[in-house]
Amino acid sequence: MLLLDYQNVLIESLLRDRLAPDASPSSVDQIVSDFDNVTFHISTPESKSKILVSITIKCWKELVTYGAQAILDREYGPYIVQPEQGYDFSVQVDLDTMASKPQEEKDELVRRVSLLKRNAMAAPFEQAFDEFASLQDQAKNYSSETAPQGVREGGEVRAIHYREEEAIYVKASHDRVTVIFSTVFKEETDRVYGKVFLQEFVDARKRGVQNAPQVLFRHDAPMELQGQPGLRGGRGENVGYVTFVLFPRHLTPQKRDETISHIQTFRDYFHYHIKASKAYIHSRMRRRTADFLQVLRRARPEEADAGKERKTASGRTFRAQA
Amino acid sequence: MASQTPAVVMDNGTGYSKLGFAGNDSPSFVFPTAIATKGPAGGGGGTGSGRPAVANKPNFLSGGAGGHLSGKRGTEDLDFFIGDEALTAASGPGYGVHYPIRHGQIENWDHMERFWSNSIFKYLRVEPEDHHFLLTEPPLNPPENRENTAEIMFESFNCAGLYIAVQAVLALAASWTSSKVQDRSLTGTVIDSGEGVTHVIPVAEGYVIGSSIKSIPIAGRDITYFVQSLLRDRGEPDSSLRTAERIKEEFCYVCPDVVKEFSRFDREPEDRFKKYDVRQPGGRSVTVDVGYERFLAPEIFFNPEIYSSDFLTPLPNIVDTVIQTSPIDVRRGLYKNIVLSGGSTLYKDFGRRLQRDIRHLVDARIKDSEVRAGGQARSGGLDVQVITHKRQRHGPWFGGSLLGQTPEFKSYCHTKAEYEEIGPSIVRRFALLGGPGST
Repeated sequence: MLLLDYQNVLIESLLRDRLAPDASPSSVDQIVSDFDNVTFHISTPESKSKILVSITIKCWKELVTYGAQAILDREYGPYIVQPEQGYDFSVQVDLDTMASKPQEEKDELVRRVSLLKRNAMAAPFEQAFDEFASLQDQAKNYSSETAPQGVREGGEVRAIHYREEEAIYVKASHDRVTVIFSTVFKEETDRVYGKVFLQEFVDARKRGVQNAPQVLFRHDAPMELQGQPGLRGGRGENVGYVTFVLFPRHLTPQKRDETISHIQTFRDYFHYHIKASKAYIHSRMRRRTADFLQVLRRARPEEADAGKERKTASGRTFRAQA
Repeated sequence: MASQTPAVVMDNGTGYSKLGFAGNDSPSFVFPTAIATKGPAGGGGGTGSGRPAVANKPNFLSGGAGGHLSGKRGTEDLDFFIGDEALTAASGPGYGVHYPIRHGQIENWDHMERFWSNSIFKYLRVEPEDHHFLLTEPPLNPPENRENTAEIMFESFNCAGLYIAVQAVLALAASWTSSKVQDRSLTGTVIDSGEGVTHVIPVAEGYVIGSSIKSIPIAGRDITYFVQSLLRDRGEPDSSLRTAERIKEEFCYVCPDVVKEFSRFDREPEDRFKKYDVRQPGGRSVTVDVGYERFLAPEIFFNPEIYSSDFLTPLPNIVDTVIQTSPIDVRRGLYKNIVLSGGSTLYKDFGRRLQRDIRHLVDARIKDSEVRAGGQARSGGLDVQVITHKRQRHGPWFGGSLLGQTPEFKSYCHTKAEYEEIGPSIVRRFALLGGPGST
């Protein structure tokens, strides 16, 4: 598994099972987590055939200001219900009405609901991409010198504080969209691994992956973030800033959804791979230990053969003196 | 941050792994503890490093050539599947399936580490740094295995906190949901019968009495084989293992008396004999008659001689022996709280029959000793109670979920900081979760 899935596997498998033609409805009540402090509650509060999926996101308020509601309305329109107590957003799937629908429609619904987290988090990106499109249109009218302030500088920075100490910043300009992650490592080891990984990202374009977005990594806050509250940085702190520069070719309508999905899972992808490389190194270490143990076992001294009967070439026997 | 997130409960068994979050009433994922990697299946896998013995002299400086991962420099270490996907992948070319756990204990740590990695990131989708973890271990698990587990959980995954609980103790905790249990004690006898083997484990005040554990080589798989052999003897049109398993799960129950049950079947054949429709691959559908195996199959627990020729002690006798070999001051508690756990204890009336048989044994012994005492001493009797409850199937997991959601759970965990201070040996001791003094 190189890339992480975007959808929640539990919601996907659960809905698929329930929507299968020969499935019998049964009650369910599960609270499950997803990455980045997202919690889902899947339940059947009214009847067994009505599955309620609720989500709570740490940065929900920020997402709403970036237009999450509109995107969720677009994706889940008829399924949205009043948010459950303690949750930010709820959709309800009625198995009885879905039962008569064709299989493709069911699959599409399963896909959409399992992408609930992705779609909610997509709001600031979509907004920034739209802003990029309009800025690009405006910029066509000006040369780089004559452009008015707003066009040259690009739009405002959208901050998503999706974890306690880490945030994503999205900023649109007329020729690019910049996405900046602030990352914090609790562990020294992880920081070292992380550095190696990020160097690979930075170097990717040199190795002939020309389509890759430009990636920059630095320890202090980049220029784009000037004036943002709550920034930390500098050598002493464990904070790093990873900047992705998305070029117009990443922002075409065809590629847009894919780009959003990829960039959203960056942090989890990053941490997953740090952990996977540790697992790989552990497996090499175990192997090496086993090899050394084998060498040690072979090196056991031979039984002391003093006092044993020995034979000469001619067949006579004698006792070796100790 | 880790203080608000639910704890992750993982119960990795020989056959199936149960994964989920504390506070839920059933695991989110149940799939085979299997991992499919590139290359042929490892047959033995008995060595610690999980590689077969190398015949030629290994070049230990270059790390050795061959199929092992350490020789690879690409992303081969990520090319694997776990669970049901592993079995699917292994049926195609290129992949071989491995079972990292044998007899309840982890044998191949390389595979287990990757199995966990995928469980956490692909299925549970959690950042391990944000969550506490509750893992389970079989009784008599060597402390070295615990240390290895802790090394992986803390060093690879940086999990916020770790608690390793004994499955039998969690099964006892799961029985607290039964209405028959009044006091939440951690004293009792656990009968854990899964797919491969059945264990009878006495637990006193949350600690397993290791010297008295007994296992029985009869469990779910044997019942399936027995059903299959009965189907074959009768010449049913379909006697595949799958059919036998479905019949076992859908129709079998425990009867109070075999002879009476036979005559009842002969008296009321239309109620008792069932039909089972099998849809065979290829679209054909055949009907299999279901007869005496309905009550005969689970009967092999109580009369093993009808199935096996080398193991002949019935389960009630084993339970009685286990309790009799335990310290005398806990025996009363062990008889009073016999808890069932695992899929093969789900047959209807299994608990009732077991309770009756054990009570007969105990009563006979008491009577015997009264006779020998010549009427001088009278016994006050002994209370035998077998607890059946709704969460038996995933008993240990549910017990873990129950204890993992308690507010004090996190204070019982060892944290990453403590691990770094003391080292892996820290997990040799855990404070008893759910024991006396806690809620």
